[in-house]
Amino acid sequence: MRSALVIGLLAIVQGGCASQSISIRSVPSEDPSAENAAAAASAAAFAAATANAAAGETGQAIQGTQESRPAVSPSDAPSMYTYDPWERLNRLTYRFNARFDEAVFLRVSNAYRRVPPPLRSGVHNFFGNLSEVDSVINYALQWRPKLGVRSLGRFAINSTIGIGGLFDVAARLKLPGAPTGVSATLARWGMHPGPYLVIPFLGPSTLRDGLGFLGDYAASYGVDVAKLYRGNVSWGLGVMNAVDQRSNVSFRYYSSGSPFEYENIRFLYVRKRLIEDEGLRAKDPKKGAKSTTQQENKAEEPAGK
Amino acid sequence: MLLGAAFAPGAELAAQAIAPLPALGACPSNDAPAAAVAHLDPGVSLADSAALRATVFGTPPKDMAPMPSKVPLAEINIALPWARPVPDVFWFDRKLRVWLSAQGKPAPLAIVISGTGSDGNTTKLSTLRGALYGAGYHVLTMPSPTFPGFIVSASSTGVAGDLMQDGRDLYAAMQEIVAHLPRKVRITEIDLLGYSLGGANAAVVKSIDATEKKLKIHRVVMINPPVSLFLSIGRLDRLFAVSIGSGDDALDLLYRRLYAELANLYRASDKAQIDEEFLFAAAASVLKTDAEFSAAIALSFRLDLVNMFFAGDLYAGTGIVVDPKHPPKVGDSLEETQRILRNKPFSEYFTKVFAPYYLKHRPDSTGTSLIADSRLDIIGDTLRNSADYYAQTNRNDLILDTRELAWLQNTLGSRIAVYDHGGHLGNIGGRQQVSDMLDMLAGRWPGAAN
Repeated sequence: MRSALVIGLLAIVQGGCASQSISIRSVPSEDPSAENAAAAASAAAFAAATANAAAGETGQAIQGTQESRPAVSPSDAPSMYTYDPWERLNRLTYRFNARFDEAVFLRVSNAYRRVPPPLRSGVHNFFGNLSEVDSVINYALQWRPKLGVRSLGRFAINSTIGIGGLFDVAARLKLPGAPTGVSATLARWGMHPGPYLVIPFLGPSTLRDGLGFLGDYAASYGVDVAKLYRGNVSWGLGVMNAVDQRSNVSFRYYSSGSPFEYENIRFLYVRKRLIEDEGLRAKDPKKGAKSTTQQENKAEEPAGK
Repeated sequence: MLLGAAFAPGAELAAQAIAPLPALGACPSNDAPAAAVAHLDPGVSLADSAALRATVFGTPPKDMAPMPSKVPLAEINIALPWARPVPDVFWFDRKLRVWLSAQGKPAPLAIVISGTGSDGNTTKLSTLRGALYGAGYHVLTMPSPTFPGFIVSASSTGVAGDLMQDGRDLYAAMQEIVAHLPRKVRITEIDLLGYSLGGANAAVVKSIDATEKKLKIHRVVMINPPVSLFLSIGRLDRLFAVSIGSGDDALDLLYRRLYAELANLYRASDKAQIDEEFLFAAAASVLKTDAEFSAAIALSFRLDLVNMFFAGDLYAGTGIVVDPKHPPKVGDSLEETQRILRNKPFSEYFTKVFAPYYLKHRPDSTGTSLIADSRLDIIGDTLRNSADYYAQTNRNDLILDTRELAWLQNTLGSRIAVYDHGGHLGNIGGRQQVSDMLDMLAGRWPGAAN
């Protein structure tokens, strides 16, 4: 049954580039007035951030904490090149993902976006709440008890008052979510992101993030909250979760039209990860004074460049 | 299970890649104009500070015109019969992608053309779509002829940037699209708009239609159009040189400075992951001085140029970065190619790809004639004499110098609105801009012919 489903999907993906000369597809309608309201909120957030930036310079803020590591200097930055030994395979996987997204994932998620927003946000909160379990475990493994307790508190509040996680009551009680996972735990204890990796169906990743993804799943499977992960509904829930995640991401493959999209996404994804790692390691003053990115720098500089 | 968990961070980030400041509606990379900042002599101020900020941030939300709360949207992918063979690396650009918002009743169709290097669904197009749909138009939004997706699927040359050639390609694509629209979309007349380079494109298309009469386009509104593409790209190159520098070392230094600044900011923030709030803080921290705003604008243009340069070199077979005998395949790395291209200014595209191609294909052309052909002047008489051409621009638009602005005013007379503020495109969707645009389109503007 499952393999039939997969073969069917593959057939759609392969046939996705079928060549009728014109296709007209209706997509979710736009709401310019709501977008304008959102833009107003963004502008306010930006103004607040500007005021903050003016009030305290970054360097001072870092010295203000119990931080003993020196600030990152421009010479610490990793090379603009990215370590990608599996590039040929990654590029083919990227194209596969683009085709799958175009033919299946995006269509399903666009259809899903016709569901009334309150229902969708309930679904989103539900999965977010389930992932708190994984966050609690990983904050414990990272030895960041404060954040772990916060995640545990969120899980307790949202699972009860929030009716099984459908409402994010905790956020309204000034306990906003801060999800973490196995990849962050590995980073916290010194593992580098490793080579860039494009995972079929999932998208941009690194070796460590890929392992982290498996680890997160294993942790959730192990705890098996409300028997959701091992019971009969687990496949359905998995698909639902994927659709929920996709519908909350506005990315569209190749809307840039650019032949360099693979390079651009890889560059940004890996830099984002490295900066997040800087943050994780900065929490641990005992670790070696040398910044991660200095080591990454060496690992990533290809020979002869 | 939990399939999406790893997908989200990557894709979210990718969305940020496409629009550096997505929620601000500012993203210069999406809405990059064809031209650039005036007054760029080193040591002198780069440009009017307010103009730079308006250009990056766009219209302040409080100044926006009222917009409808629901605009239906359909995506159209169309294969064009004259398209050239699609190179392997452009497999995803096989069809031209445009966007339609149709009224449920007979209505005029407004076709809107995007700015330099941009696709057919930018934030600015979305704003114009809202305003036009709200005023009762069917709205069709199209990419710029300099967008890779257009170059591959709709260009008859593959070498973008020639006003007349791009106009012909756009005109042919429009006819094909309009002919294939569903019958229930009943069109009473066709009007044309465009912003930035798209404004110049729109006027040229209308002038072609005036003789060929295939679409019977009625009125045209150019929003912040350039006057001379060649002069504009020169200004852009200078903007890049002044605010960033030249050579790979300059870009590398900019990248390292940004990386260090963001890493330190992130370390100080005590966040568990990079989120929207952090991105605002990051943007606020790296966008402070005029030089930083200029660098953001210059960089966004350069990213567009890299695509256009690559496509042009590939199609023209000029061999600057692509070996014409061995073009890259899907699995091949383009990192080195991209590194070489991001150091190349517009002027190099002109001298090494554009000019060689057109000199070869237009026997009686010269370097001087190609430069002359990049001026809106090529339809100067039409602009002067026909009452159906309108323009909106700003006194501090970065892409025009005072002489070019004066030329527009002299040529269009009463058919141009010049606002005091907004920089380049920094008032699109604003109350005044929208209400004037609708008056111009409907023939209510003073000086309109019936």
